[in-house]
Amino acid sequence: MAQYSAQLDGVFVALADPTRRAVVRRLGRGPMSVGDLASEFPMTLPSFMKHVRTLESNGLIRTVKSGRVRTCVLRRERLAVVDDWLAEQRRIWEERTDRLEQFVTGEDNS
Amino acid sequence: MNPDLDLGLERIIRAPRATVWNAWTDPARLAQWWIPAPMRCQVDRLDVRPGGAFVTRMSEDGEEFVPHLDACFLAVDALERIVFTNAVDSSWRPANPAPIAMTATITFGEHPDGTDYRIVVRHGDPESRAQHEELGFADGWGTVATQLAALVEGTR
Repeated sequence: MAQYSAQLDGVFVALADPTRRAVVRRLGRGPMSVGDLASEFPMTLPSFMKHVRTLESNGLIRTVKSGRVRTCVLRRERLAVVDDWLAEQRRIWEERTDRLEQFVTGEDNS
Repeated sequence: MNPDLDLGLERIIRAPRATVWNAWTDPARLAQWWIPAPMRCQVDRLDVRPGGAFVTRMSEDGEEFVPHLDACFLAVDALERIVFTNAVDSSWRPANPAPIAMTATITFGEHPDGTDYRIVVRHGDPESRAQHEELGFADGWGTVATQLAALVEGTR
């Protein structure tokens, strides 16, 4: 649960930047090498690599190195996490209410 | 309530209203149920009055506590209602809480079996949601959904 929440936070962080969103959109069309991706963005390679690392560390993309080429692949399953945010909020409140109920109907806590 | 953004919850809790109210408003009691075990909860501030602070922290190991909620009470009616939001923090600064801004209204009603406990949580329309839609996998999921819709609606 805490891990899931951290995952969700990470996804939101990763998607909070227009460059990173554009990368995700681009990778939605298929895998691409870092070099080809970077050439589409008006920034230095080191700056771009930082975005790639953020996307990777938050699990939105995978990168695979083959020889000197690093290829980025979108992890769609992680994006599904965002879709479920309302269900997740509901679960948090339901479980919180369960715990409150157990607490007040359990031991005498007056 | 906007069904796409908000959620409602209702539960009959078999305990007197005052007991449920105390579980919410006494820091030592709140700490025991607010966050799921095995995580530990520390209630830093619980000033249950309009404008009062609501600050909790959590810990995985019982040693290092990290921020959990930094919110502000909007309305408080003893034994009846608590309203708080994390869109304004405990020092009344506008906040952009992750993952989402919300206003929670908790009502405690009398019920023959105990307490009629209701929650309404209203969420802001988070930008992140818009961003997600903006990602619009028109060339992925979107296309599939359109095809599926066309199929079930019998259009071509």
